[in-house]
Amino acid sequence: MGEGLEHRLEVVGERSSSILSPLSSASILFYHQYLIQNLIRKDIKARYSNSFLGYAWTVLEPALLSAVYYFLFIMIADDPDPLYAVWVIIGVIVWSCFGKCLQSTVSSLTRNASTIHLVYFPRLIFSFASVGSTIWITLMSSIVLIPLLFAYDLEISWQLLLVPIAILLAAFNAVGLGLLLAPANCVNRDIEHLIRFIVRAGFFVSPVMWTWDMAMKRGWAADVVIWNPMVFPITLARDGFLGKVTEFPMNGIMISIGWGLAMWIIGTMVFNRFERSAVKYL
Amino acid sequence: MNEISILVDEVSLSFPKKKSILNIFKKSSTNDFLALDKIRFSVNKGEVLGIIGRNGCGKSTLLRVIAGIFRPDEGQCKSSGKISLLAGLGTGFTGHLTGRQNAFLYGSILGNDEKIMKELMPEIISFSELESFIDEPLRTYSAGMKARLGLAVASALNPEILLIDEVLGVGDPVFKEKSKAKILDMVAGAGTVVLVSHSFGLMTSICDRVIHMSEGKICFDGNPKEAIESYYESEEKRN
Repeated sequence: MGEGLEHRLEVVGERSSSILSPLSSASILFYHQYLIQNLIRKDIKARYSNSFLGYAWTVLEPALLSAVYYFLFIMIADDPDPLYAVWVIIGVIVWSCFGKCLQSTVSSLTRNASTIHLVYFPRLIFSFASVGSTIWITLMSSIVLIPLLFAYDLEISWQLLLVPIAILLAAFNAVGLGLLLAPANCVNRDIEHLIRFIVRAGFFVSPVMWTWDMAMKRGWAADVVIWNPMVFPITLARDGFLGKVTEFPMNGIMISIGWGLAMWIIGTMVFNRFERSAVKYL
Repeated sequence: MNEISILVDEVSLSFPKKKSILNIFKKSSTNDFLALDKIRFSVNKGEVLGIIGRNGCGKSTLLRVIAGIFRPDEGQCKSSGKISLLAGLGTGFTGHLTGRQNAFLYGSILGNDEKIMKELMPEIISFSELESFIDEPLRTYSAGMKARLGLAVASALNPEILLIDEVLGVGDPVFKEKSKAKILDMVAGAGTVVLVSHSFGLMTSICDRVIHMSEGKICFDGNPKEAIESYYESEEKRN
């Protein structure tokens, strides 16, 4: 070994403390915002490149889906709420935001294996970028609600802002769980398949095709359903569309936000702890 | 000048063979593949170090440990200054974006903001010789063009440490000369270069020192010509 000066040397890739990772993970969002922006732009461009309708698909997809569900509901129950189609659209938009955020975070390491092998930057960024682009696309698709406001003669009120807030909450509820599972998904891809199933099954367990009011009419159903952290965001968005602040019970709100926070804390700690050994499996 | 810019200190790294979630909790187990075995060396600032060895001896893994991509199981790796790793032919590039957009993306991945990238763009375009192709989608590029763009971006960023994995063998002879000149240029600017390559001619002409690796261990560390001799000797023994 040379007798060189070693004072400027820094340890490569030192892991920060696990306990602090819920906070340090959030700070990555700010330190690397330029890179995250670039990756989001790339992601959105990739999704709609080579398509004639391009960004129109963000609005078309939930609209067409809702038309199908509306038809289905008329077939099953003959006296629908006049706003039922809107409830389904909002349900589909908020739920698919959750589902896509969850799936893309779980597979964030496996999908980006080639970049991971090329350069080091905090790997949380892959997840943040895909969640960011999902949020962006979801916000774009919620534009479909504006003509509906006029169609149903509803007023434009500040409560409409609750819709994007609900979308952000749905994304936040997904990120923590996704980060918790992402390292394990590098080792066994079963996790990815399992999550895909959960997102499909959750579609029916969450108020996408039904509403909180329907659950309340059934009495006991409301007590069970309230434990689903996605009931609050979807109900919040629907109430916001009607121009009212939600009357959702406080304990349900706490369950939803508490779930998001708890998952963020556990998820970032697990991700920080295991991400390094997990990428060896890629 | 004897300032150390990379210090690899007793680094060991093994890859898991069996795919089991439980393995993630263990540090290492006996049936793992040991890719690096107590590697220890240092590189001085401004030095050009070459690494040779047969396929699978751990050269690329070693570069990735220095770049922070893999975390060593044991030992540690220290460095001073910005590191950029150049590996593979245009990996990390996205086909449907243009060359310019890819350069911006690659630049931001390597930690540069938009302002710096805008300033560097003319230099990148002229070095990569892409001219009007820079605004075409990357999927229309040939492999050599992608590699040229990659080298142009990575070297334009003036990293203090440049790690190169097998990309200098690409391009036509003129471009090869140019990339060689660029590396010498970087070295003149007191940059440190670690180079993995199978082209021994290049190694002897630009490296100050060459390490010969075999099965995750360092066999020889020193004069380029002797390192290449050591490589051929070990190959003969093998046969």
